[in-house]
Amino acid sequence: MTAILDIKGLDKFFGGVKAIQNFSVELPEFGIYGLIGPNGAGKTTIFNTITGIYRPTGGSIRLQGRELVGKQPFQVANLGVGRTFQNIRLFTQLSVAENVFIACQSDADYNLLGALTRLGGFRAKEARLREKSLYLLDYMGLSQVAEAKAGSLPYGHQRKLEIARALALNPRLLLLDEPAAGMNGDESRELVDFIFRLHAEFKLSILMIEHHMDVVMKLCQHITVLNFGLTIADGTPAQITRDPGVIEAYLGREEQPC
Amino acid sequence: MSTYEQGIIILIGINIIAVLGVSILTGFTRVFSFGNAGFMAIGAYVSALLSLRAHAPFVAAILGGMAVAGAISWLLGKLTLGLRGDYFLIATLGFGECVRVLFEYLDPITGGARGMPGIPAKTTLPAVTISVVLAILLAWNFLHSRYGRNLMAIREQGMAAEAVGIDTAHYKTLAFVVSAIYAGWSGALYAHYLTFIAPNMFNLDKSAELTITVVIGGLGSLTGSVISTVLLTVLPEVLRAASTYRMLFYGVAVVLIITVRPAGLMGYREFSLAPLHRALDRWRARRLAAGTGAKP
Amino acid sequence: MLFQQLINGVSIGGIYALMATGYALIYSLLGFSNWAHGDVAMVGAYIGFLCFAVVRLPFLPAALVAVGGAGLLSVLNERVAYRRIRRNNSPTMFLMIAAMGLSVTLQNFILVTVGPKFKTFPTVLPVKSVSLGGLHIGVLDLVSLAVACVAICALQFMITRTQAGLAIKACASNMRVSALMGINIDRYVTLVFFLAGALAGVGGLLVGLKYTVYPLMGNISLKAFIASVFGGLGSIPGAIVGALFIGVMEVLVSGYVSAGLRDLFTFGLLIAVLLIRPDGLFGRTVEEKA
Repeated sequence: MTAILDIKGLDKFFGGVKAIQNFSVELPEFGIYGLIGPNGAGKTTIFNTITGIYRPTGGSIRLQGRELVGKQPFQVANLGVGRTFQNIRLFTQLSVAENVFIACQSDADYNLLGALTRLGGFRAKEARLREKSLYLLDYMGLSQVAEAKAGSLPYGHQRKLEIARALALNPRLLLLDEPAAGMNGDESRELVDFIFRLHAEFKLSILMIEHHMDVVMKLCQHITVLNFGLTIADGTPAQITRDPGVIEAYLGREEQPC
Repeated sequence: MSTYEQGIIILIGINIIAVLGVSILTGFTRVFSFGNAGFMAIGAYVSALLSLRAHAPFVAAILGGMAVAGAISWLLGKLTLGLRGDYFLIATLGFGECVRVLFEYLDPITGGARGMPGIPAKTTLPAVTISVVLAILLAWNFLHSRYGRNLMAIREQGMAAEAVGIDTAHYKTLAFVVSAIYAGWSGALYAHYLTFIAPNMFNLDKSAELTITVVIGGLGSLTGSVISTVLLTVLPEVLRAASTYRMLFYGVAVVLIITVRPAGLMGYREFSLAPLHRALDRWRARRLAAGTGAKP
Repeated sequence: MLFQQLINGVSIGGIYALMATGYALIYSLLGFSNWAHGDVAMVGAYIGFLCFAVVRLPFLPAALVAVGGAGLLSVLNERVAYRRIRRNNSPTMFLMIAAMGLSVTLQNFILVTVGPKFKTFPTVLPVKSVSLGGLHIGVLDLVSLAVACVAICALQFMITRTQAGLAIKACASNMRVSALMGINIDRYVTLVFFLAGALAGVGGLLVGLKYTVYPLMGNISLKAFIASVFGGLGSIPGAIVGALFIGVMEVLVSGYVSAGLRDLFTFGLLIAVLLIRPDGLFGRTVEEKA
């Protein structure tokens, strides 16, 4: 299996703060990999460097062989990388449907003149975009609330909407930043099934940041553990649960008797 | 209709066009600029010079004014749109003032601070009416397409907009250039209505007035912008107030609106995805008929 | 000749610095550009003129009333408009829009009530120059510079050495946390606005004394804004440096190039600086956490 995402020796320093040091991962096509670690370990920073929000201090990021470093965020998105954000960034004042409709914009193949004059099959093209967004909403189970303001949805639905929006890009790689945040046990189990379905239906490769260990263990074939920007372990879920370094830093160590 | 009433309507029309541009820029993209009077000035002077010196036909003169305003705004936008909000604001303000100062200084070409008289009076009521209808139609089509939607995405969450593949720099520049072209259009019509233009007509007050009008009408509503332009042009006339009272009224009105009802007259309303809702209804109806939750 | 120009520039720069400091103070606290700042200065100048030339108070009391009045007006602006907007949790831009509205309101209020005619202050200080080794400095300019220095130093002292100053710095850093720590935000916001208004009042008086008093004189604050942006929004030292720089540059351009193009150079320089350092000379870039 070829690697869809190949990161080698990624560094990101903010002045004296070494947010990421020498991070590497090879995500195979259709793989689901996880990034875990305490808060501030650098996980979201890695996402931000992949998507071009930050420029890495060193290292390379390749998407199916193509170098992403130096690209603008919108270029990375158009190359097929969809993402969700840790602090949900929906277009809160717009409706649920509009949120997804906007995200379909890369499929809109009319130009300014077409938009201004409404000629050249404009209406048909817009109709296709509408169909697509409605389909995605239906898939996510959000069609009932399509006209509600995105900001008024309950938290779990907002997260689903963010995923729907990311899917509108026809992504090959999906970056999920704490998709299970704020969910209870039942909701997390639902989410795991949901992500498995997404993965199969949309033929995605997924890299996820998550704190819910049960979600990570069930979904991910491979997990990288970060702490203070350094990779302290990586391997299968079974391997990392047994790794003493991981246990000490993240999973918790038993108290030693005096 | 008396000449006086015709004049009011023509002025309303001219103002509407300039305000529509600022509405697209500020109301829909949330980019604040205090330099659009400068683009009006460019449109006015370029079109006036084309009419007077090159004896260009009316439409050509207007298009010339719009084109130059657009080109200069594109350059300015490339230089300054990367700056943060407050800094960009000062930059546009500076630009507006520079245009005014420059036109005053270039006395031999522009007539300097004394102004340029003798512009042919070609802005008639029919001309303005056609222009306004065209301006509103184009703005509406622009906003109700992926172009307008992308601007709103940028307004709401710049980072998320990029994450869905929107080139925010490109679209902000587009919004800025569109607003400048509209301002140039308005300025050109103004020049050929008043038959006389002077640099101090296109000053900071005018730029502020445009932004204030959009705010009062509601950031994010074309109808709101049109309504507030009409109100703010007509009201002082109806009240037989001098221009000083007009500006005082503007000032108080905007403070009231922004503290008490920031959504303005129309708020976010008017931009409705009515076709989307209709499609949604049809979709639901189809699903009901099919009886299952199957995807197409 | 060049030195003479420089002295003039520094003198004007001092006044700009007064205005820029007050403006930077408000920006560092609330994060918005207070467009009404210059008009508060203008009203201060008018109050001073009223007290001194019309009511015929002695100069110092008249000046105090003017400065105090400007401070109070600034506080009033905050109470009437900015506080409500903060309470509504509206975006910061709305504060700026309100400031714009207040600016327009104040200018036109004066235009309507007092009238557009320029008012000149009766002579307060002798209109002669002091000679220092071949250079001439107007007495007024000297006093003006001294007053500006004293005022800014007093402010700096207050901010760095007093309890109130510490509270203000805390609020500027993080308002919500400061409130949670028990700091009465409203009280300190009021204090900051009063101080900024008072500084503006001093600036307005000085400009009024040096030139004339007229309703649109608040536009001098535009230079103060530019100075503040130039030096980096929110930075008081940056504002002062920017102000002096602009003061000197204006005088030089007026003298050696052309008075008409003076503003063109100022704005051109501003744009040039912003292109090289998008956050101003001493500005801080705060990266948004994604």
